[in-house]
Amino acid sequence: MKKELLGVIDATTYHEDLEDLLAHRALAALPFAGRYRIIDFVLSNMVNSGIRSVAIFPKMQYRSLMDHLGSGKNWDLNRKRDGLFFFPSPIVDFDGNKIGSFENFAANLDFFYRSTQEYSLISNCYTVSNMNFSPILEWHSNSRCDITEIHQKDGGSMEMYLIKTSLLIKLIETRNETGYTCMKDVVNDIQSLYTICNYEYDGYAVMIDSIENYFSTSMNLLQSDVWKKLFIKEQPIFTKVKDEPPTKYIKGSVVKNAMIANGCLISGSVENSIISRGVKIGKGAVIKNCIIMQKCVIEDNCILDSVILDKDVKVEAGTQLTGTAGSPFVVRKGTQQGALMNS
Amino acid sequence: MAKKKCVAMLLAGGKGSRLNSLTKDLAKPAVPFGGKYRIIDFALSNCANSGIDTVGVLTQYQPLLLNSYIGIGSAWDLDRKDGGVTVLPPYAESSEVKWYTGTASAIYQNLNYLKQYQPEYVLILSGDHIYKMNYESMLEYHIEKRADVTISLIEVPWDEASRFGIMDTDEELRIVDFDEKPANPKNNLASMGIYIFNWNILKEYLEMDDRVPESSHDFGKDVIPMMLEENKKLFAYPFKGYWKDVGTVQSLWEANMDLLREECDLDLFDHGWRIYSVNPNQPPQYISPAAVVKESLINEGCTIEGDIEKSVLFQGVTVGKGSTILESVVMPDAIIGNNCLIERAIVPSEVKVPDGTVIRSFDDEIILVTNEMLSGLYPAF
Repeated sequence: MKKELLGVIDATTYHEDLEDLLAHRALAALPFAGRYRIIDFVLSNMVNSGIRSVAIFPKMQYRSLMDHLGSGKNWDLNRKRDGLFFFPSPIVDFDGNKIGSFENFAANLDFFYRSTQEYSLISNCYTVSNMNFSPILEWHSNSRCDITEIHQKDGGSMEMYLIKTSLLIKLIETRNETGYTCMKDVVNDIQSLYTICNYEYDGYAVMIDSIENYFSTSMNLLQSDVWKKLFIKEQPIFTKVKDEPPTKYIKGSVVKNAMIANGCLISGSVENSIISRGVKIGKGAVIKNCIIMQKCVIEDNCILDSVILDKDVKVEAGTQLTGTAGSPFVVRKGTQQGALMNS
Repeated sequence: MAKKKCVAMLLAGGKGSRLNSLTKDLAKPAVPFGGKYRIIDFALSNCANSGIDTVGVLTQYQPLLLNSYIGIGSAWDLDRKDGGVTVLPPYAESSEVKWYTGTASAIYQNLNYLKQYQPEYVLILSGDHIYKMNYESMLEYHIEKRADVTISLIEVPWDEASRFGIMDTDEELRIVDFDEKPANPKNNLASMGIYIFNWNILKEYLEMDDRVPESSHDFGKDVIPMMLEENKKLFAYPFKGYWKDVGTVQSLWEANMDLLREECDLDLFDHGWRIYSVNPNQPPQYISPAAVVKESLINEGCTIEGDIEKSVLFQGVTVGKGSTILESVVMPDAIIGNNCLIERAIVPSEVKVPDGTVIRSFDDEIILVTNEMLSGLYPAF
C-alpha cells in the first residue's frame, strides 16, 4: 500500500515583529505575493504532494483565515472522506505562546485516532516555498528515524516534522509526563528517547517572521529566477479565487518590474512593487518599492516609496509616504492617509 | 421538483462559422473574450445576477470544451440543489436521433426539461452576445404589458440591420411586424434574440410549429411570424446599453478593443453586476524591468518582457524580450517569442509564435493568426 501522509498545520504562531500586519488577522492569513495568504504555500504543497487530509490548528484571530479557507474547495479539499479540518483552539490563551501546539492537538485527539494515514507531517504555516513532500516521506520511511526534521540547506530548522502518526499520538497523550509542549521540544531534547534526523531541503524556502523579512522576501519575487522557483505550472499554489476582471492599464500608466494581481485599475506609475487584487492607482501617482494590499485606493499624484499598505487603505490625493528598505512605512488595515497627516 | 417562476433556456449550439478557425474546435459561446471570459459567461452571469437560478444550456456543435467549462455551474453560482444549470445536448429517441435543426426545435425537444419545473415564464437566450442585462426587469415589463411574448430590441447601425431580426412596433411598443434578416430593412430596431414567453403559449406554438413540415423551426423565421399572424400580444422591450454580436473576427476584435477605453460602456469592474467565469488560479502577472505596458487589459499568469500597447492579454500569456504587441488580442497560454511584432491581430489559445515573427495588417482587416500561417512563415527543415 502507498504510504500516506496526514497534513497538520500549526497555525497558532504569532510573531510580534509583524504586529502591524497582524492586528486583524492570524499570521497564517497574512497576504503575500499579490493574491495569496501565507498559509496557501504549505497547504498547496501538501495537496500537490498527494496529501488528502489536512488539519489546521489556529488560535487567535482566525476569522479571516476561516473566511479564506472556506470548505477547502479551492484546494480540492472539500471531500466526502478526509479533506480539510479546522480546529480552533478551545483554550483562551492571553499569555502569548506559552501553551504549545500539543495542547491544541490534545483537544482534538479523536481526529488523530480516526485518521488512517500512517505518517504525519507537522508544519508551520508561514514558510514561503514550493516543495514536494513525497521524496521527504520516502527518505523518512526508508530511514530508521523516529522523527525527521526538515532543515534548510546550510540553515536552521524549517519547523516541519515527519513522524509516524502513532508516535505523534503517543507524544500528545504523554505531554504532561514528558513536559513536551510541541514538536520543537521533542527534537531539541538532547536526552530524547527517539532517533531524530535532519533532512536537508535545498530548494527555495523563506520563513516570514518580521516586517523586514516580509518586505525583502516580497521584493525578491520580482527577480524572475526567484519567481520561477515559487510559481511552477505543475505544482500550482492554490488560493481563494475571486471574480475580478483582468487588470486595466489606463492611458498614462507606466509599469515596470512589478507583480500585479487582477482587478486593478492603474493610471499612475508603478515600479518594483507588488500590487494585490482590486487596487486603484490614480493619475500621476508614483508607486515605488511598495507592497499594496487588496482594495487599496491611491488617489491622484501620491508619491509612495518603500511603503506597505495593508488592505483597504485609502491614500488621499497628493499624499507622500516614504520608508526605507530596512524599515518600510507600514499603514494599517482600513485606515486613511491624508496629505497633511505626515507633514 | 419545485415550481419555478422563470426558467432560462440558453442556446449555445452555434457554430459561429464567420469566426473561421477560432470555432474549428469549439462552439461560438466558448470563444474567449475580454482577457478572461468566454462569451457564454455574459448570459450566465446575467442569469445569476437577475436571480434566475434554473438554466438549461442547449449544446450541439463541438460541445466538449463547453460542457466541461460549464461543469455543474459553480462558477456562476448555479450549482443548486433545486434547479441550477443543466446541459441539454441533442438525444436519440427510439426511432431517430433528433438534432437541433433550429432554435425552436432545440427548445421543443427539451419541453420535458421545462415541464419538470412548471414555469410560468420561459426566458430564451443566446450564448453568442456580449452584454449586461437585467432579465428580471424585462420579466416585470412582460408581466406589466400582459404580453404573450416579449422580445428585447436594440437600435443597430442601419448598415448592419439586415443581419438581424427587424421589428416594427406601434406606439405602445406592440410588435406589428417582424422580418428575420430582411434584405431591405424597414427600420433599425433589431431583435437581440432574447425572448420571454408565457409557458403555455410557448408550448402551444412549439407543438404547432413541429407539425409544419416546411418550417425551419426557427423563432425568428417561423414561430414569431406565426404568432403575429394569429394576433398574439407581442411586445418589444427596448434595451439601452452595450450589446455586441461578436460573430466575426473583426467584431470580436472590436469588442475587445472597446474594453480598453477609459470610459467603457461595458463595465467589467462593477461589483454590483459581476461577470463570473471559471477562475484559472494563476499567479499575478509579472511585468519585467524591460517591459512597457500601455492602455491594455492583462490577466493573471502573464509574463511580460516586451512592449504591450492597446491590447488584451488572457491568462498565462508569455511575451518575450524585444517583442511588441499592438492593438491585438492574445488568447490563453499563447507564447510570443522574442523580437516579434504583432499588430492588429488575434492570436488564438496556446499558439506559439516563434522568435522574430512579424505579423501586421496593411489594410483594415484583422489578422487571425493560425499555426498553418506560422509554419508557412517558417518552413520546417
